[in-house]
Amino acid sequence: MAYTLTRADDAAAQQSDRYPLGERQRVDDPMKQQVHRSVFTGKLEEVLNSAVNWGRKNSLWPYNFGLSCCYVEMTTAFTAPHDISRFGAEVIRASPRQADFMVVAGTCFVKMAPVIQQLYDQMLEPKWVISMGSCANSGGMYDIYSVVQGVDKFLPVDVYVPGCPPRPEAFLQGLQLLQDSIQEERRPLSWVVGDQGVYRAEMPSQREKHRDQRIQATELRTPDSV
Amino acid sequence: MSTDATAAIVHTLRERFGDKLYCEQPTLTGMPVLWVRREAIVEVLADLRRLSEPFEMLYDLTAVDERMRSHRDGLPAADFSVVYQLLSVSGNRDIMLKVALDERDLSLPTVISVYPNANWYEREVWDMFGIDFAGHPNLRRILMPPTWNGHPLRKDHHARATEFDPYTLTVEGQDKEQDALRFVPEDWGMQRERDGAEFMFLNLGPNHPSAHGAFRVVLQLDGEEVIDCVPDIGYHHRGAEKMGERQSWHSFIPYTDRIDYTGGVMNNLPYVLAVEKLAGIQVTDRAATVRVMMAELFRITSHLLFLGTYLQDLGAMSPVFFTFTDRQKAYHVIEAITGFRMHPAWFRIGGLMQDLPQGWDRIMQEFVNWMPARLKEYERTMMENSLVRDRTRHIAAFDTQNAFDWGITGPNLRATGCDFDLRKKRPYSGYENFDFEVPLGSNGDAFDRGQLRIEEMRQSLRIIQQCIDHMPAGDFKADHPLTTPPPRERMLEHIETLITHFLQVSWGPVLPANESLQMVEATKGINSYYLTSDGSTMSYRTRIRTPSFPNLQQIPALMRGGFVPDLVAHLGSIDFVMADVDR
Repeated sequence: MAYTLTRADDAAAQQSDRYPLGERQRVDDPMKQQVHRSVFTGKLEEVLNSAVNWGRKNSLWPYNFGLSCCYVEMTTAFTAPHDISRFGAEVIRASPRQADFMVVAGTCFVKMAPVIQQLYDQMLEPKWVISMGSCANSGGMYDIYSVVQGVDKFLPVDVYVPGCPPRPEAFLQGLQLLQDSIQEERRPLSWVVGDQGVYRAEMPSQREKHRDQRIQATELRTPDSV
Repeated sequence: MSTDATAAIVHTLRERFGDKLYCEQPTLTGMPVLWVRREAIVEVLADLRRLSEPFEMLYDLTAVDERMRSHRDGLPAADFSVVYQLLSVSGNRDIMLKVALDERDLSLPTVISVYPNANWYEREVWDMFGIDFAGHPNLRRILMPPTWNGHPLRKDHHARATEFDPYTLTVEGQDKEQDALRFVPEDWGMQRERDGAEFMFLNLGPNHPSAHGAFRVVLQLDGEEVIDCVPDIGYHHRGAEKMGERQSWHSFIPYTDRIDYTGGVMNNLPYVLAVEKLAGIQVTDRAATVRVMMAELFRITSHLLFLGTYLQDLGAMSPVFFTFTDRQKAYHVIEAITGFRMHPAWFRIGGLMQDLPQGWDRIMQEFVNWMPARLKEYERTMMENSLVRDRTRHIAAFDTQNAFDWGITGPNLRATGCDFDLRKKRPYSGYENFDFEVPLGSNGDAFDRGQLRIEEMRQSLRIIQQCIDHMPAGDFKADHPLTTPPPRERMLEHIETLITHFLQVSWGPVLPANESLQMVEATKGINSYYLTSDGSTMSYRTRIRTPSFPNLQQIPALMRGGFVPDLVAHLGSIDFVMADVDR
């Protein structure tokens, strides 16, 4: 599996003045090198990494942050019928400092963008971003002067959830995809172990994964009956 | 609405002001539209406010860039026009005044002295059109960022984000923007200290759990007491009005859903009704009744969302789980009928997107049977709860006059005891055929605003029940050449119908040049679309008057002397969404 490396203390990060800060490069799975060096420490690190990632992905604390319509569907996912606590992500935090991930649920406005950046900066590592809905993904139907055409113009996004707005189920699927990618991540186990970069796995495209199955559909349900 | 009495008012104005009035413009807005000389506008407005049945409310204030408009026969020469729309609740009538402006002299006197709520509207006109209001205490940008250049609703301002360089955020730009958003008390005429004690300035928002979206309000605090506050909006400005000038009449419908995003098809209603006025379409009884039914269903989901979050803002964690369960049941019905949850965009010019599916009445009846017991439970557990009562009784209370001053409509106006519901006073889409009551409050406090909405949901259920019992048969689309999209069955009959179909679907219908306006009693108050057609496939100007905007402007007037928890209770009780404020 290919990985994207973002170094924590990258000199380039200090010089770059455009968000998202830091330089990203494509690399191989760092664990592979470990295995070649020493089978024992390589395996040990893999086990430790998996255990830490397992803990991280199953207690994701979302930041209570909403912009527009999508936030209503996101809140719907938090409530009883959808029950996000099944995935360990029900501890909503009102402060970015206590949150693990931020869902950009709604339109990213030019006036709001610096505020979003500020809130993102206030979150502590490890942190992730889900972009929820067409507006946050790409501007969606709002190709208009006051809207940033996608929050990834300045934030590093981990998962994109399509829809306008996406159903709560779609958001929950996005959350599970984030969990899957967290399981594959390679982060330093401590500030003295290993190199201090974040390796994010490049997860397979969902569209390609499901294409064969989706293309099989030949008959769509009629809208003429409930 | 008595047209004679309205004509008499216009006649009296003519006698009193003579040549200070230019002319009366014939429109389809259903109200007299008078062009007034700039010097006389304050005087005319003051006069209209003093009538025996006064125009108590400045309902809307906006502007139009007239420079590209080709159909202006008989109207005074103008590069820009400023539009004042007044509402008389006592007389149940409206009047619209317009002032013509030359682009070399874009200035006119402020009318804050007559109508205090002109303050934000004038700021919006300044922001969007660059028209100056002499004597305005704080004429600064309201919707756009303070660092913005240009005035977006001018015809020569670009519309699309993709028309200029892609957005980038630099470290330096971030600091600059953040600095521009810094609150400076002196700019708002505020003191930093009193009697040697410093005030605390608390920045609540733009992201705060009880601010219901991207809304910011800066509080000047002495301990827990709010001395003054300054609401700051514009973090949710999606340029819907500019969007209306580039989408076809038909393809703008999905954008209306996203204005009051909890209101779904309720937003389609004023828009399609206004377009149908321009087109001269009379929809079928079935279409009108289905529209009422779906709009009322969305009123219930919106009020349920309100109830859950309102109680949550007061500290009750559980109700939101219950009300969202109810919303899920409503969405089951909505999805079965329209195919989508929040923004179905299901109404069409001249009818509906499709007919009701088979079996709709069964699931709708299930929902209508489910709700009453739940509403009773909410009332018993929450509204009779002494903690909720203590937090909300006599909190942020205002009277009817105060509501008029600030342009408050809808449930928040009715909570003050004022019986003004458009569904009764000016029935549209067949509301006159339904049997329902208009619930009223008495104290106009945060409690009444909550309680009243529970009662409104009961009335909406009554209306839906009548729709289920008496759904008229017939077509779901009007038989009219401008119905969009045209009925498909006729498309292949001969070449003429095929061409018409093709043009209407690809270019969209061409509506005759005129102006129309339609108000509806939306979930949060009176929502209206004021459309100007220049005889094209697109709107020349789309003005969206939303009910949430005035509510936020009113906040400082209510909160001075209150406490921070009262402000949170009030914010919860207003029932606003930011898309409905900033559009």
